[in-house]
Amino acid sequence: MFEELLEEIAQENALRGTNTYLKLTVGLGALLLSLLSAGFVAPLFIAFTMTVALLYLARIDARTLGEAFAAPVSFAILSVAAIVLVSGGSGAVWIWQPFSWLSLSVTPTSVDYGIYVLCRTLGGMASLLFIALTTPMTDLFVVMRQCRVPPVLIELVMVVYRTIFTLLDQLVRCYHAQVMRLGYSTRRESIRSFATLCGAVFIASWNTGEDQIRAREMRCYDGRLVVLGETRPVEARPALAAAGFLLAALALTVLSGGVTLLGGAP
Amino acid sequence: MHVMEGFLPATWCIVWWLVALPSLALGLYQLKRVMAVDREALALLGVTGAFIFILSSLKLPSVTGSCSHPTGTGLSAISFGPWITSLVAAIVLLFQALFLAHGGLSTLGANLVSMGIAGPLVGYGIYRALRETQVSIFFTVFLASALADLVTYVVTSLELALAYPAEVGGFAGSFTVFLGIFALTQVPLALVEGVILALVFKYIVQLKPEILVQLKIFPEEKIVAAARGLADAA
Repeated sequence: MFEELLEEIAQENALRGTNTYLKLTVGLGALLLSLLSAGFVAPLFIAFTMTVALLYLARIDARTLGEAFAAPVSFAILSVAAIVLVSGGSGAVWIWQPFSWLSLSVTPTSVDYGIYVLCRTLGGMASLLFIALTTPMTDLFVVMRQCRVPPVLIELVMVVYRTIFTLLDQLVRCYHAQVMRLGYSTRRESIRSFATLCGAVFIASWNTGEDQIRAREMRCYDGRLVVLGETRPVEARPALAAAGFLLAALALTVLSGGVTLLGGAP
Repeated sequence: MHVMEGFLPATWCIVWWLVALPSLALGLYQLKRVMAVDREALALLGVTGAFIFILSSLKLPSVTGSCSHPTGTGLSAISFGPWITSLVAAIVLLFQALFLAHGGLSTLGANLVSMGIAGPLVGYGIYRALRETQVSIFFTVFLASALADLVTYVVTSLELALAYPAEVGGFAGSFTVFLGIFALTQVPLALVEGVILALVFKYIVQLKPEILVQLKIFPEEKIVAAARGLADAA
């Protein structure tokens, strides 16, 4: 019923103490290189390296990482299948024309293109997961403030962040109570219980909002929430490792742009 | 249905970010104005964002056997309007990317256009059209939520088709294929979300109708009539 929040894992990962800007440079740099790459090799390298970094440097549980990858990758495979069918190219191994204006085919070029899009997605997802699993939101608030994001927006983001965990706590208790009363025993019952659960959260969120207003007024809230954040120094070894990785990924992006697996046109 | 990180080419990521930016700017401008008048609004907007996030992190009981999540933006658009929903949706999408690995940072613009702007706008339009009519509030919520959901899928298919046009048939051919694939899985889910959110409204009308009155979602007499009808049925 509930998805595990990556934020909770990020709070305890082994790279928690590493400089936030360094982690963001690695994650966003890898993401950008994945997007700009014209071939499948560089994104695949990025996906592999990021996964290894998450497993061995950040000490993220392999199962958790697998589950985080599963949903987007299954959606990617479905979408890539569609791209392969419509992309076309020469030397078709399978072709079907359901309408005069639509032709579906599988060609070496379309399969190569599908592999490229899938690898780019894997590279992008691994980079995103690197940021999500190593950099907690509390560290990003400090970065947002230092980057001069409008204060009113930061306030809103912080309130949403705080309230998510309050509501989630109520939701889990409510859900367990429903399960104990066989609330999810049949499909019909599941839909009814699910709706009741959502309604209860809506009412709880309204009550929480009212409580927050009262609590803030009592604490002399002046329109600005205080963020206590520490800026950790950039250490030499992690910085060198990050630079080495980004340079290697950049070199692969430049050099392997036209490389394809089946020899189709890139 | 989020477009995941890395799936769209860089050019299209930029295009959808540019399309989304004006509505974000408008949302931010409205937020600043609301905050200048009423500081208490921040807490309610905050919990709205948290509510949408929580709703979207729940796995929906699916009739197709697949797993999906309610978008929740239809309900938010009805309750708080489409522009505030688009700003809150941007924050929710950022949290979804970082907390759940749903969507991404480069594709946030595209996801915002489909889930945070197009879907809520359609949901809000339907709600506004039916608000003052004799149509039941529960059917209005069902229709607004289900169609907001469906439009989200249609716009996502459009985004994918523009990025990956077919060799034969171009954009239209590709759009048909993407729509065909997602319609099969997502239409039943949109209907289920509509039913669930209508039941959510029923629950709120039964337990705390004053919230709906305070938010001015429906005319007071319509809410009172609905609450009376539910009490009589019980």
